[in-house]
Amino acid sequence: MNRNQMNEQIMKQLNKAGVANTSQPTKRRTVGQRVRRWTGLMMALVLFPLAMQAQQIDLLIKGGHVVDPKNGINQTMDVAVIDGKIAEVSRSIDANRARRVADAEGLYVVPGLIDMHTHIFFGTEEVGYSGFEINNSFGSVRPDAFAFRTGVTTMVDAGSSGWRDLPTFRKQTVEESRARILAFVSIAEDGMLGSVHSNYLDGMQPDATAFMINENDDFVVGIKAHHYRGDDFGPVERAVEAGNLAGVPVMVDFGGHQPPLSLETLLMEKLRPGDILTHTHFGSSSRQGAIDESGNLRDFILPAQDRGIIFDVGHGAGGFQWDQAIPGSRQGFWPNTISTDLYRNSMNAGMKNLNNVMSKFLAIGMSLEDVIERVTWKPAQVLQREELGHLSVGAEADIAVLQKHEGSFGFLDARGQRVEGDEKLETELTVRAGRIVYDLNGISAPDWVEPTWDE
Amino acid sequence: MGRITLLLIGLGIGPASCQSDPDPVYDLLIDNGHVVDARNGVDQVMDVALLDGRIARVSPEIDPEQATQRIDATGLYVAPGLINPHGHYFTGPRIGADDGGFSGAFASGFSSVSPDNFTLRNGITTVVDAGTSGWRNVEQFKENVVDPSTTRVLAFLNIVGYGMLDHNHNQRVEDMDVERTVAALEEHDDWLVGTKIGHFYSPDWTPFERAQQAARESGTRLFVECHLPELPMGEILERLEEGDILTHIYGAVHDREHILNQEGRVRPDMIAARERGVFFDTGHGGVSFHYDLAAPALEQGFLPDAFGTDLHRFSMNAGMKNMLNVMSKFMNLGMDPSDLLSRATWGTAKMVGREDLGHLSEGAVADIAILNLKEGSFGFVDSGGERLQGDRIWEAEVTLREGRVVWDLNGLAARPWQEDDVQR
Repeated sequence: MNRNQMNEQIMKQLNKAGVANTSQPTKRRTVGQRVRRWTGLMMALVLFPLAMQAQQIDLLIKGGHVVDPKNGINQTMDVAVIDGKIAEVSRSIDANRARRVADAEGLYVVPGLIDMHTHIFFGTEEVGYSGFEINNSFGSVRPDAFAFRTGVTTMVDAGSSGWRDLPTFRKQTVEESRARILAFVSIAEDGMLGSVHSNYLDGMQPDATAFMINENDDFVVGIKAHHYRGDDFGPVERAVEAGNLAGVPVMVDFGGHQPPLSLETLLMEKLRPGDILTHTHFGSSSRQGAIDESGNLRDFILPAQDRGIIFDVGHGAGGFQWDQAIPGSRQGFWPNTISTDLYRNSMNAGMKNLNNVMSKFLAIGMSLEDVIERVTWKPAQVLQREELGHLSVGAEADIAVLQKHEGSFGFLDARGQRVEGDEKLETELTVRAGRIVYDLNGISAPDWVEPTWDE
Repeated sequence: MGRITLLLIGLGIGPASCQSDPDPVYDLLIDNGHVVDARNGVDQVMDVALLDGRIARVSPEIDPEQATQRIDATGLYVAPGLINPHGHYFTGPRIGADDGGFSGAFASGFSSVSPDNFTLRNGITTVVDAGTSGWRNVEQFKENVVDPSTTRVLAFLNIVGYGMLDHNHNQRVEDMDVERTVAALEEHDDWLVGTKIGHFYSPDWTPFERAQQAARESGTRLFVECHLPELPMGEILERLEEGDILTHIYGAVHDREHILNQEGRVRPDMIAARERGVFFDTGHGGVSFHYDLAAPALEQGFLPDAFGTDLHRFSMNAGMKNMLNVMSKFMNLGMDPSDLLSRATWGTAKMVGREDLGHLSEGAVADIAILNLKEGSFGFVDSGGERLQGDRIWEAEVTLREGRVVWDLNGLAARPWQEDDVQR
């Protein structure tokens, strides 16, 4: 069924009031996704022989330690870029073949990072009443102010926009940004405009949401359910219904219920494999944490992860607590994806940026390879955008070169508590579609030579 | 927090432990940092105590027991909050038009950036917008940027009524209204600090004269950008008087004469202008900082009065990056760390005519930067894409705005996580 046929069916369904879709998750791919997959494959077939003919290399990243989890690479390799694509990854590529060389010795070369939880629907609209200021407003931030300087080449907005605002979001954020922008659309028709909108069940229409996902499937990758205070799973159920219609995953920002709703019901019954719980390391009086009041990992957490539920960090200003993350790690529970929940209130707090959040997991014992996988190949899989998050030959050349500093560092959680660590990641170089878009210390730049003057 | 504690103690219901100790009289003590406060001639290890968002005391030894909270600044520099005198912050939803050279979308547009995204993490507590708005849209700028920002936002008002809307609007002399510009400067004299002229492409001095006239009538500064290709540098310098500001001084910009003459010497008319009180700002930007010009100028003693970054969408990820990076370039070209901090605080405050800022005098607003002078191997790229190797770089550890911690890189102001917390 193509996109138009899917939307025809949705239009028909709109005429039947109250029909709930209780079918099992289908994980269909849209036509756009299929085309992208085939394009990637075709490019690989076309480019591979070209690279073999010793074509001039546009950019050679030389001597770095490549970590490419999808392809199982974790060793020193050279990476060559031609025409915006990965042309070759091998032990030694002749620098004379390259127009430009970035010296990555002692650095880590990884796929461009994917931050799958951000709020980037920046605008200047004020609702004039108690709102989140996330939807087309000041609470969101501009992606390019944060992306490239932290190695991020793909930023995913987490439900700032509902289906009504998707065209505005596309125009203002997707098309105006140099970073690649993807998005979860909110199940609330007005997105994260205000509390009342997130609690207005009648405004959560699976059909209209799925329709707009199909219309915008070049950047919409999922559906977000969030900020609901009712004592039921209404928004989650409607988001899942829309997810079934459009073949995309659902991300849930769970909490705000008094007394708290059952996390077990959410993870074991309501969500489908591939759906996402965000703010994983958060617990409060209105949201059950993965760690209970006694410091024990709840018994359904690992089984939920086994059945395919994705646990996303979504750090934010309030969504990450050491007293959830550390006991979890000690009991064998690690998040599947690492993300920032970047927005106005988190950017200058304990969160700071994705590299800082990644470093927190190094500080509590996650290996560098595992950290990298959780910001590259894993989110690409979760978002069903498997053309991203790896350095396969033929893939678009989105690359991050990272430095792992050693020293004494402090890392703050959302409650203002510090954990010490001795490693910290910093972005040295970012490449987007083959172009150098950030170079912290000029590792790809020629040395300045003092000019001579007529005396 | 501190005020509540003080109140409780005042009422005699404080915790028992407080009764044996001296009562905390300060909210926060910044302990044992190297304080650089040029206005007060301080350049040594000192303690700084804050109360109610203001500087309460600066002294070689203040008892930590007197403060509710303490930040250990041993080995770090403590300076007044840095001031970035040149950036474009009138951010908004307007998308740029292709208008042949001058990329628009600065006024309420995508080419401007949000101050808080770049300031606090770099020790900056005050920025000055460089004429992105004019008298027609200054209210919108205030509502959308100045008021909602944690950073203190000051601004030069463009002599063009629409500010930096697009190329065509910038050429309309009839939109350069002295009377209305002066009225806006007077109405918003708590945050507007002067007028700006730039991006005018005819050999007509009227816009320059009007900007200068509006500055004089309102008693504020004149800020002169580049992109005035038909106005010879020599005559611009002749017209500049005490307090006027010229920016982009180390740029090899194609449409302006350079700071150095054919022999590689700083132009005598620049030196003469400085001697009569004209200020010179760096204005790094995307294309306006070249080692070929800066290094010889510094060698000849022509240092910048301020480290304006010309922050905008096109400079942020280029060689510029942020103001600490720009300052570090000058440090690795030979400038002294304390001198850099003095210029980035008190020097810049004087330049923009805001002497209430940029110092740690008792009673001054507690805008403070705690900075780390990191040693290692660093590279610094100029606008020509060339790298200078250096061994030191500034990094912001903690930033305070009106006494409040608004940035804390390594948690110096935080308490350590306690294992017991799990058992809450």
